[in-house]
Amino acid sequence: MKATRILKRLPLHLLIITLAVIWLAPSLGLLVSSFRPRQDLLSSGWWTALVTPSYWSKFTLANYREVLTQQGMGRAFLNSFIITVPTTLLTLAIAALAAYALAWMNFRGRQFLLMMVIGLIVIPLQMTLIPVLRMFNVLKLSGSFPGIWLAHAGYGLPLMIYLLRNFFGALPRELFESAFIDGATPFRAFVKLVLPLSVPVLASAGIFQFLWVWNDLLVALVYLGGFEEVAPLTLKLSLLVGSRGQDWHLLTAAAFISMIVPMIVFLSLQRYFVRGILAGAVKG
Amino acid sequence: MTKRLVVGLLLAGLVGGLAQGAVTIMVLWSGDELAAFQKVADAFQAQTGITVRVESVGRDLPTILATRVAAGNPPDLAGMPNPGQMAEFVARGALIPVDDLVDLTQFPTAFVDLATVNGKVYGIFISADLKSLVWYNPDALYAEGLAPADSWNELLYITETLAARGKVPWAVGLESGAASGWPGTDWIEDIMLRTAGPELYDQWVNHEIPWTHPAVKRAFELFGAIVRNKAYVYGGTTGALSINFGDSPAVLWDPTPGAYLHRQATFIKSFIAGAHPELDLDRDVAFFVFPPIDPKWGTPLLGAGDLISAFRDTPEVRAFLQYLAGPEAQAIWCGALGKLATNVNVDPSIYPDQLTAQAAEILKGAEIFRFDASDLMPAAVGSGAFWKGILDYVSGVPLDRVLQEIEAAAQAAY
Repeated sequence: MKATRILKRLPLHLLIITLAVIWLAPSLGLLVSSFRPRQDLLSSGWWTALVTPSYWSKFTLANYREVLTQQGMGRAFLNSFIITVPTTLLTLAIAALAAYALAWMNFRGRQFLLMMVIGLIVIPLQMTLIPVLRMFNVLKLSGSFPGIWLAHAGYGLPLMIYLLRNFFGALPRELFESAFIDGATPFRAFVKLVLPLSVPVLASAGIFQFLWVWNDLLVALVYLGGFEEVAPLTLKLSLLVGSRGQDWHLLTAAAFISMIVPMIVFLSLQRYFVRGILAGAVKG
Repeated sequence: MTKRLVVGLLLAGLVGGLAQGAVTIMVLWSGDELAAFQKVADAFQAQTGITVRVESVGRDLPTILATRVAAGNPPDLAGMPNPGQMAEFVARGALIPVDDLVDLTQFPTAFVDLATVNGKVYGIFISADLKSLVWYNPDALYAEGLAPADSWNELLYITETLAARGKVPWAVGLESGAASGWPGTDWIEDIMLRTAGPELYDQWVNHEIPWTHPAVKRAFELFGAIVRNKAYVYGGTTGALSINFGDSPAVLWDPTPGAYLHRQATFIKSFIAGAHPELDLDRDVAFFVFPPIDPKWGTPLLGAGDLISAFRDTPEVRAFLQYLAGPEAQAIWCGALGKLATNVNVDPSIYPDQLTAQAAEILKGAEIFRFDASDLMPAAVGSGAFWKGILDYVSGVPLDRVLQEIEAAAQAAY
């Protein structure tokens, strides 16, 4: 009985495995390459290293060592955290409050506000760089961390609000009615009802924003600049390639180092992730 | 709490850095180049007490700089990727002329001209690289009773003589992975400069003349007369197409030389040394300047350079510009990197070897210097259609069709 079921599902599993392998191949290649010495990297493909057992002893940590001991690497790591963590918290806090208001509070122009927020999702970030930077100059925010927190929060908010509003909107109306009958203020309902029920969607929105900010180079370069004391990891890594692209063996290792943090964040919040996306998507 | 403290300290540091007695400079360098420039900045600071804050933004420099300029907070100074980009910032009114700030007589006129827009100078070259070189193995060439060429006819004479003796005159390698073809673009550029002159060259770069222009066609034909001739090139056209640019010159120093001449920039020295560690570079390796073709245009030089321009006129900026232009800063910068100094007063002993010192000497005499055209063209042409056109032409595609194809790409890209 059980055997026939497995047999029946075999084609499906094969398909899934094939897709997964195709999907993973580039990352695997990058991983293998990151352990190979520079000359080999330039002279033969990564798969040749995998299929030649005699080669395995040549795998080395030298690329990782070189990247990690680069001057200012620790500083860049710290900067990336100083940029990413407050930005993510700020975005989530504002987005949750706004989404709640847009979903459950009655006021004039609510639909219009919602349309505005959704409209903002499609505005290309590049168009805003110059005017926002000009404003930051007047407010003395350019080149400072608070400036980039605000900038990133601004770029992240429309999508976050939209995502959270859809989830909040799907919560049962009766819940709120009984809470209000019992005398709860809208804010109390938000803290006691909405937040505990929305952990999945908050987690997935948090992952989204964290990854986006962590991987960003352009926004940081424009608002924060490339000075050593503020530059994030992404800039440090982009400089590693060398002016003639001669150091790309370092880039393979650097890519994995910069992936570690998002991987940890993603894996630790992953079980919320899928639920959160689905929850928001079913009711539009 | 701790984070607040850290942020507070950072902000304090930032404000402190912006206080008087500081200049900021945005550059695209990384690695060794950034470290060498930091050395220059430190030496300047030790002398004057003016802090130099170096901001490296990598290859995105044109975008970031344009954004900062438009938003009204450019750095005090910036390294320009090339003279074309500099001219764009001049057109926006963002740069200050340096004519009165720096003693320009320290530079060969070619470098002053290259940084001149509408009669004013907007930047200084702190170093350059030289591409118009023909490398040879002196022992092998002299053993054939031949000597370095001073003119195109002599170069053709050497080529024909060697071929008539059953020897292969040229080593050419166009293979360079995804960038295959670029070594050929340098040939075309050098020939263009020598047959059409710098004005037409500039028009060609800006696509003010089409690729089907007779001057461009002639440059390709002169290149083809050598490289498309199977008897003139090591491995024939197949060899030229499939041998890696870095490996190609090695045959010049084989026990029985596989070829005698190789046209390439200064950087090829390290590839030669890598392939033949037994060589004494200063004794066994030599080069001469790619010879003039049309006497009217003399011997223009092709290459690249590091150009610095200023966005603000403050006493600190003036002091730093003057320092960068001077022999001391260039000695630190070029000595560390093996680049060629543009200041004629730089002591040749700073160079790591005689070959570099010789190249610097050639540069000092530069009357006309031009940037590598393919680097200045839009990527779809300069690092796309042009490269492919070289490969097509060498592999036997008719020239008119090659040029029409590049022209089509250029029409779309400019």
